[in-house]
Formats: sequence, structure tokens, C-alpha cells
Amino acid sequence: MNSLCLPLIAKREFIEWRRDGRLLIAGGLSLIVMIAAVLVNVQRQVVAEGKRRAAEVLDYDSWLKQGNRHPHDAAHQGMYVFKPSPPLALFDPGITPFSGASIWLQAHQQSELRFRPAQDATGLQRFGTLSVSWVLQVLGPLIVIIFGFNVFSGEREQGTLRQTLSLGVSTRTLLWGKALALHGVMALILLPVLIATTVAVLYASVSAAALSDTALRLLLLSVGYAAYVSMMVFAVLAVSARMPTARASLLVLLGLWFASVMLAPRIAADVAEYLDPSPSRVEFNSKMASALDAAYKRAWAKELGSEKRWGGDVPLDRWGRALQVDDHAGYTIMDQHFKRLWDTYEKQNRTQEWAGLLAPMLSLRAYSMILAGTSFYDHRLFSHAAERQRRVMQDIVSDDLVKNADAHSHTHGEQAHFTYQADARLWASVPRFSYQTPLAKEALGRSVVGFAVLLTGLALAIGAALWASAHRPE
Amino acid sequence: MNGILEALAVSKRFGETLALDGVSLQVNAGEVFCLLGANGAGKTTLVNIFLNFIAPTSGEARVDGRDVTRHALAAKRDMAYIPEQVMLYGVLSGLENLRYFAALATDEDLPERRALDLLRQVGLDETAARRRISEYSKGMRQKVGIAIASAKNAKAFLLDEPTSGLDPKAANEFSQLLRTARDKGVAVLTTTHDLFHAKQTGSRIGIMRRGRLVENLLAADISHLDLESLYLKHMSNQDE
Repeated sequence: MNSLCLPLIAKREFIEWRRDGRLLIAGGLSLIVMIAAVLVNVQRQVVAEGKRRAAEVLDYDSWLKQGNRHPHDAAHQGMYVFKPSPPLALFDPGITPFSGASIWLQAHQQSELRFRPAQDATGLQRFGTLSVSWVLQVLGPLIVIIFGFNVFSGEREQGTLRQTLSLGVSTRTLLWGKALALHGVMALILLPVLIATTVAVLYASVSAAALSDTALRLLLLSVGYAAYVSMMVFAVLAVSARMPTARASLLVLLGLWFASVMLAPRIAADVAEYLDPSPSRVEFNSKMASALDAAYKRAWAKELGSEKRWGGDVPLDRWGRALQVDDHAGYTIMDQHFKRLWDTYEKQNRTQEWAGLLAPMLSLRAYSMILAGTSFYDHRLFSHAAERQRRVMQDIVSDDLVKNADAHSHTHGEQAHFTYQADARLWASVPRFSYQTPLAKEALGRSVVGFAVLLTGLALAIGAALWASAHRPE
Repeated sequence: MNGILEALAVSKRFGETLALDGVSLQVNAGEVFCLLGANGAGKTTLVNIFLNFIAPTSGEARVDGRDVTRHALAAKRDMAYIPEQVMLYGVLSGLENLRYFAALATDEDLPERRALDLLRQVGLDETAARRRISEYSKGMRQKVGIAIASAKNAKAFLLDEPTSGLDPKAANEFSQLLRTARDKGVAVLTTTHDLFHAKQTGSRIGIMRRGRLVENLLAADISHLDLESLYLKHMSNQDE
């Protein structure tokens, strides 16, 4: 292989794309869409983060300033916690648009996750959330197809392939030259997007520590997306090398694109659901309610010597204690049920990640959400933290009821339990909710499967392209 | 004398069809071998074997002593191929096509001046050279093909019905270019249906029928009329 040949072949492809208008129209439009996606999401992110911070302050402030009242009433009013949006959410919002960004912490019950995570959505369903990641995952392969569908098949049809091969240029040299051209044109389109995203992330990052963590995530994301684009390039080259005409090549590639981007996510979600079925919302609630009921009964019998919850056999001067017993009996049951549910979702996600061997977008999507900090796992971590906060709030309130309301009713008569009021000192003892998103290092560990699948796909695509170019039809 | 192009008992079978049946021929440096024959006689199959686009079922094709199947790329570097219709990139100019193909063939950049000279030598002035190929006539494309072959400094030219569809003036100019190449010591193997062109340009003339080389004559030893009679005789036996 001669060093002159590869840039020469690549340069000729570029001239052709420039002169037939593809570079300007397809390349330019793609660039505009992606830059627009960056700008729209920066705006959305900045506004959302501003609102989140303001809401966080206001909500905690209203908790602190709720005045004197019965602590259990305060626990029922509860408070909201807001999920901080990681800087790279402007690149890949992940499941956030579907799962929400706030959780209401209230007495007795753990707030639910939504039951249909975004992973189930097809490419088109996610169209409403125009993000750079969506454009790259769904439209990226289409851009490669537009530039690459005829690189071999078109030349075969025109006869220039035969002319070129008659010169003593090997098919492998030709393949690498064309791969260089396609990588070059994608880099030309994507580098400005990477620069714009980097600038936007710098703008959105709040601290130096967050910045270095985000930079590492962005680097890893770039590597993953580069592997995906490269895989698409070689897959397009393989098809173009095998197809007798440019039209056949285009049809096959569009069919593959439709199947892998539009159909595969839906099918993969159904297969994942079949392998690891998740309960319906009603089913989940009903099962947990039964388990909670049994646990409450056991706890009440053991700790309070009562067969009936909130019956007359437990005096009001023990209701604070009863609340404490009731709450603690529920914790384990909720943990078990939510763990089972979330583990099921994790297994479904893992199945979809492996399905990336057939439809690479699925692996990239998982990899991208994990590194952007917007995956289901991140949502799970946040939900855990929120539930911990809820229990802290609930325990403080119940402890106060035991210490003060129960004692108060002991000395002032049972009804005095309900007239007891706590003041700002109790509210201030509930700490402000603070949540730290996991570090990139941890995300890296969880992204290994997705990345391995992407690399496997890339290796297979290179192999397919080498084979197809060596066994091209005459 | 060692031939630049040599076919040694080359046979090619496509399924049940025997496309080439033990064809042997030799084209020496400075010689033009014109291969005549009806459609399907095996002329293009032989050219494709020399180019290693297809492998022979048996026998061997050599370029400058090298087996084309075992040394495919090296053999192709010594050859220039000009098909019936030289296929070039329509969005590039004649000059750009020449520089591109020449650089691919030689691994060296062909300076613009030199490229323009080569195009001028084949009858394309600078204005024509800078026009896009999509605006070229077939004759002009064939001339670019010759210019590419010249830039490549190939030892052998393989031409597959290069004058088919050219007007008489363009065909005559093309024949002149071939004679120039021949005079420079290039071995030329050309397939054609044009007896006049074969007699006018060829040093040797071969006639193929049903995959076999049935005549191998010195052009100087046969008159145009005798060649025509001989050809027609073989063609009339084609269906036997």
C-alpha cells in the first residue's frame, strides 16, 4: 500500500462530494441540525438547572418556615427533592425526559419510578427530544449512507472501479482510501459539534472538579461515538462493495438503517421484557401493598402487642411509637420490592445492550446514557438517595413524636397527642438534601459492556468490508 | 524473443461453457496484436484474464514473464487497459482524471505541466483538458485513456474494442496514437471487430472462434481482401 494512494483516493471522493453537492447539502444540513441541537439543549439545560436550584431553595425554605405544627402533618406535606442535571445531559438527556427530575418525599410511601423507561422508545418516539446524541445515533448512520452508498457500487456501475483496479491498485488500498474519505467527511461534520458541545459543557459545568469529571466523560463519549461512526463507515463500505448497483446499495442500506434504528429498539425491548418480565404498575402496587400489610401486622403484633393497626387497643400516647414501628416495618418491604423491580429493569437494559451486536445503536445508546449520567442506573441512584432522605425526615419526625407527643399525651391526656406542635428547630434538624452524581470512574465500569459490543461490531464491520471488497461482484 | 504478453494454453470455463480453449499467443515489445472474432468468441475473456479480473481454469497468462494470477498487482503495473469505453470520473476534468489515475498507477504525483503535455500529445488542448469528463465525447475519453497509459509508462497496452463507436476521424487518430506507442516499444494487444483497423494498425492478427485462436498471422503477409475472406470463412463456420 502506498502512502500517496490513500489521501489521493480520499481527496477524489471529497471532490466528488463537493461537486455533486452532497458535502454542502447533506453535510451542511447535518451540521446545522447538530449545532442547533447543542444550542437548544444548552438553553434547556441552563434554564432547567436555574429552575431546579431555585425550586430546591424555595422548597427547603418553605419546609423550614412552615411554622408550628404537628410533626406528622409536616411529614405528610413532605418536601421535594430535585435531581441535578449533569452537564452532559445537554448532549444526551437519556431517560430524564421520561422519568422526571423531582421526587416528592412524603410520609409512609416511597415515590415511584415511572414504569416505562425511555429505553423502550424507538428512534422516532424520541424525535421530540432533539438532542445531539439522538442525531448522532439515529441520523449519524444515515449521513454515512448518504456519502458512502455508492463509493464502490457507483464506481462499479460507472466502470471506474474496473479502470482503477486495472492500474494495479489493490482492493484493500481502495477500501482504506475510501474509508479514510468517509471518516474524513464525518470528522468534518462532527468536529464542530464536538467543539460546540465542549464549549457548552464548560459553560454548564459548575465547578472545576465537575469539569475534570465531565471532560473525562466527554472524552469517553467521543471514543464511543467514534467507534460507532467508524463501524457505520465500514458497514456501508461492505454493502457498497457487495452490491452490483448504487441503487441496490442504497436500498439495502436504508433497509438496514430502518431495521436497526426504528425496529430493533422496539423488538429488543419486547425481547428483554419477555426474558425478564416486569410487573405492571397495578400488579406492583398490589403486591407491595399486600406485603406491607403483612409486615405491618407482624410488627404491630410484636412491638405493640396489637392485632389491628391504628385500632383502639394501642393508646394514643403510643401513637408516635406506633408510627415509628409502622414506618420501619415498611422499609425492608419497600427495599425488597423496588430492588426486584429495578433489578428487572437493569436486566432488561443489559439485554438491550447485548442486542447491540445486531443493532449497534442499542449499545451506543446505553453507553452514551451511562457516560452522560442520564441512564436508568443514575436515576436509580438518585431515587435511592431521595428515599434515604425521606427516611431521615420520617425518622426525625417519628422520634420527635415519641419523645414529645407521646410524652405530652401521657401527661395531658391522650387527645393532647394531636395538639402537640413542633417548631422550626425540628424542621431545621432535617438536613438539606444533597446529591452527588457518581464519578466518571464508576460510569466507566458500567459502560464496559456497551463499549465491548461497539468494538466487536467495529471489528466485524471491518472484517465484512475487507471480505466484501475482496469478493466483489464483477 | 521473449513476449511482453504471453498466453500459454489458457482455458476458461464458465459452468458448462468453454469460453477459452487452450489459447496461446505472444505479443512482443513494439508489436500490435489485433484479435478479431465475433461476439462471444472469447476475446474479452482473454483480456480479463491478463488483467486478473478472472482466473484461468488452466494455462497461464504472463506479463513480462510474470504470472498474472500470482503477481497480479505487479503485472497490472506493467499494463495499461483501455476498454471500449474508457470510464472516467464525470465530475472531474480530463486533466484531473489523468493526474488521479496516473498517480494511482505510478505512486507519484504527475505535475500539471506534464499532464497537460501528455493530453496535448493525444490531441486535447488545455481548454479541453480543463473541461469536465461529463462533457467529453467518446473519442476524447479514449484519448484520455491513452494519455493515462502513456503516463503510466506501461510495457503493454490491453485494448478491448477501443475504436468501437468512434467516428472514422477519431478512429484514425486513435490508430495513430497506437502506432506511436508501438514505435516506443510498447506491446499492444487489441480486440476489435474492425478488419480495416486491424490490418492498418496490427503487426500480427489473430482470429478467434468459439474460444480458440484459429488464425495467427503476420499482418504484412496478408492483404486486406484475403483477411476479409479468411475472417468471413471462419465466421460462416461459427454455427457449425
